[in-house]
Amino acid sequence: MKTPMTKGSKPLWGTSKDAYFRRILRSEPGLGAAASERIFRRLQADVVQVRLRDASAELTVSDGAAAAVGPPGTLDAAAILFDPYSPNVVVVVRTAGRERALAALSQIERVEHLRMLAREQQLSIEAELESAADIRAAIVSAAERRIANRRAAAS
Amino acid sequence: MSEFVAIANRKGGVGKSTVAVMLAHAAAAWGGRRVLVVDLDTQCNASLMLIGGEGWDKARRAGKTIADYFYDRFDKTAEDESEYVVNNIGDVAHPRTSKGKVALLPGSLMLEDVQGELFLMVAKKDLDADAVGVQVRGRMKRMIKHFGMDFDLVILDCPPGLSFAALAALDLAGRVVVPFRPDFVSQFALDRVALLIERVEDADQLGDIPFAKRRYVCLPNYVRGTGREQLLLDQIALDHPLLTARLPLLDSVARAFDWDETRKSMDQKYTDALPHLRTLYDEVLGPRPKLARAG
Repeated sequence: MKTPMTKGSKPLWGTSKDAYFRRILRSEPGLGAAASERIFRRLQADVVQVRLRDASAELTVSDGAAAAVGPPGTLDAAAILFDPYSPNVVVVVRTAGRERALAALSQIERVEHLRMLAREQQLSIEAELESAADIRAAIVSAAERRIANRRAAAS
Repeated sequence: MSEFVAIANRKGGVGKSTVAVMLAHAAAAWGGRRVLVVDLDTQCNASLMLIGGEGWDKARRAGKTIADYFYDRFDKTAEDESEYVVNNIGDVAHPRTSKGKVALLPGSLMLEDVQGELFLMVAKKDLDADAVGVQVRGRMKRMIKHFGMDFDLVILDCPPGLSFAALAALDLAGRVVVPFRPDFVSQFALDRVALLIERVEDADQLGDIPFAKRRYVCLPNYVRGTGREQLLLDQIALDHPLLTARLPLLDSVARAFDWDETRKSMDQKYTDALPHLRTLYDEVLGPRPKLARAG
């Protein structure tokens, strides 16, 4: 069902809503990780949908996300709302393994989002890769290399 | 009983001295503890923060620094360490009724040279380099431990790198706070310092030690609150105990350490950094230290 747009506002739900909450909480460096996580879980459980007054004005795109898709003012809502830090691929590979990481990445369909995630998470992938499936596999392989690299240095 | 807390990281520029001084002020002001800061870093930043350039220069000209203490007393049996300590220092005012005070064993530019000389001195008696290293380090540890008789809390501000003095401090400390910047290379620095503190050889051995049993905790410093930082913190938290405290990148922290003789309250000194210091103090020196993520 398509949610009717209110003039000057943008509805967020599901992963977009969660990503918005994450971003707002991260913008408060004084908030401890544990408190931040508790608040996030509560908001995630209690809030079905949020409406932003003006998506392009209200959202601050963290780190290099804006540069990845164009200058401010040209971002489409989906690009703005994408959180390139979720899932944390290295953490998922470490804690749940390759297949779970691939499954988590399968939620991201757009190739440009996958590339953005790879860049923001510093996971090197070949520029020539075109399909989303190939990019996901490359991202997970890069995460595995990162893990191995760090373990090798820790001795 | 005196407590020894080291502030250490082999990586430089992570805020070790800043954290050491902040914790010293907090322990004296809020905990009413008699605190000694031992400046083991040849950059002497903690000394400059606590007694200023002139105060530090006066101490070194008088031969009252950590290097002088090690050099003068290394092979003496009777140790009178108190004359090397500069008492009642810092620019935080404490209530007259409080026992809380901050003292300093000033740092020295000569500490590395002195360690070399002590090594050579011991080497004349024993030709095995490893054994000499162990002896020098052990003697330094006992010499630092001596200060525990006069203070409730001894904060060891360690240098980057692995000098004998730094190793002695890490051996002695009951707890080690490892400040770090949440950036890519910091992960490697944390891995290495953790192996050293826990006296293990690789990541597998380290992983066998539950977080709750580790002597060290990691403190994210200079935090800006970006998504990339949180990404790294989540990755680091898989392998290392993290404090919930985060010290954000604030002008007020930098300003707090511009030397100023005027005594002021903790509020006046630390302004908007105060709540972060409070959290840090509660976690590290409070009655029941806790970890953000226990393995």
